[in-house]
Amino acid sequence: MRVEITYKFTMGFIIVVGSIVLFNLLVPHLGIPEAWQQLVTVSFALLVGLLLGWGFSKAFSSNIRFLNEAAERLSQGDLTRYVRPRSTAFPDETADLAASLNKVVDNLRELVGYIKASSDKVAASAQGLSTTSREMTTASHEVANTVEQISRGAETQAEMVEKSTRLIKEMAVSIDLIAASAKKLAASANDTAHTAQQGGDTARSTIKKMKQVLGEVEKNGEQIVSFGARVQKIGQIVEVITGIAQKTNLLALNATIEAARAGEYGRGFAVVAEEISKLAESTGHSAGEITRLVGTIREEGQEIQASMKDNIQEMDAGREAIDDTSRAFEEIIQTALNTQAKATSIAELSQKQTEGAKNMVAATDEISRVVTDNAAATQEVSAATQEQTASMEDMAHAAQGLSTLSEELLSIVRRFDLGVERGL
Amino acid sequence: MEQVLVFALGDELYGLEVKNIQEVVEAPVLHYIPRADEHFSGAINFHGSILPVLDLPAYLGFDSPARDPRIIVLVPELCSLALSATAIRRIRALDPEALLPSRGTSDTAYIRTVCNHDGEIINMLDTAPLLASLDETEKVTGGNDGA
Repeated sequence: MRVEITYKFTMGFIIVVGSIVLFNLLVPHLGIPEAWQQLVTVSFALLVGLLLGWGFSKAFSSNIRFLNEAAERLSQGDLTRYVRPRSTAFPDETADLAASLNKVVDNLRELVGYIKASSDKVAASAQGLSTTSREMTTASHEVANTVEQISRGAETQAEMVEKSTRLIKEMAVSIDLIAASAKKLAASANDTAHTAQQGGDTARSTIKKMKQVLGEVEKNGEQIVSFGARVQKIGQIVEVITGIAQKTNLLALNATIEAARAGEYGRGFAVVAEEISKLAESTGHSAGEITRLVGTIREEGQEIQASMKDNIQEMDAGREAIDDTSRAFEEIIQTALNTQAKATSIAELSQKQTEGAKNMVAATDEISRVVTDNAAATQEVSAATQEQTASMEDMAHAAQGLSTLSEELLSIVRRFDLGVERGL
Repeated sequence: MEQVLVFALGDELYGLEVKNIQEVVEAPVLHYIPRADEHFSGAINFHGSILPVLDLPAYLGFDSPARDPRIIVLVPELCSLALSATAIRRIRALDPEALLPSRGTSDTAYIRTVCNHDGEIINMLDTAPLLASLDETEKVTGGNDGA
């Protein structure tokens, strides 16, 4: 039953007054002298009043002190205990104050718990954020490194592409040269084939002419043989003439001798004989010359016959050589035609190669463009990564700040001791 | 003018007066004379009489193997002898003024005189010492076929 303090004090006063009355009534029955009766009654009444007052004051100040201690604890952040006033039959305003304090404790507990929990969570989150941002910074550093490598790789790639473009262009020039050479080769092979054709024709006509010449040479040989026979006959005739001339000469000689023997009469005859002798002599000379000529002619005829035989043999050999030459020309024609075909196919192939090289040049140009774009893109990525790294660092800083803040908050809140029974 | 038959002995030209020559015969058949002197190349049948043929180049010591097939037959008044020469040329009419005087030494015993005829030197054969030496040889060898 709740009794306010005012009423309690009123009730105490009433009780003191009542005890005075009661003692006044009670004391005459106790046998106490009349003189002492008034004193005893007052003493009793005073005693009761003192006891009651002491009890009241004691209880009241104890309650106040208790509350004061609780408030003190509260002010120190001790939220482990509730304010538990002694249970009385008549609670008063101190109980209300205690209840209110308890409510404050409850609310504080809840608040501090929330704050603790939240700041724990914030600290954890800030920690996580910091870690994450560190990791992300590391990652973005790696990304930056990688992007730098990629950028360097792209530069190398660009150089390589440029180099390969140059090489391919040179190759294209070489292929053009090859194509031109192959065309020239084909033309030369064509010319060779034509020339060999002409050579073969010439060789054939030469063989024909040589056969004619051979026939004529054989005919000439026969004519020379018959000529030799006639010359032989001339020689025989000349021998006869020579004999006649010698005989005439001898006759003239003897006639001269006879004429000389005849003396003066034979002188004219001697002159005639002299003339005859001279004629015979010149006839002999001429016949000798003819004989020498015939001999020379015969020797020359034999030489001509021998050389004709040689010629015929050589011509046979020449005919074989020309046959060989003709065959060789055929082979040359065949080879030249093959060469022409091959050179033409080389020219066509190198034409295709030229086209392929042009396509390759175009492709490498495209690759070069792509590589340039890549380089630009990697630079952008690099810039973005750097920005990201900066943002990450900012974020890390912010997380650090957040962590510090939550730490501060926790340290502030940590003053409040929630105890274990309701710890959060 | 003297009619002279010119003939060659070796490389030298010799001359013999036509009055000493009976005839020049064409390549007669040479008959072998047994045991005859080596200067005689054989014997010929001249119009029925047998004449020895003197190998004149060999006898006079000319080193020449060639012989004219014709044989010079001397007149029988001089000697019954035929002469073989290296080559018989022809009969020439020599100017007596072209005759050079003989040197008359022993080594030119058979050359009567030397004649310059149109640049050719012709030695005129002296028959007398030739025939005399033949006679001497025959005496030495003991051969004598009569003159």
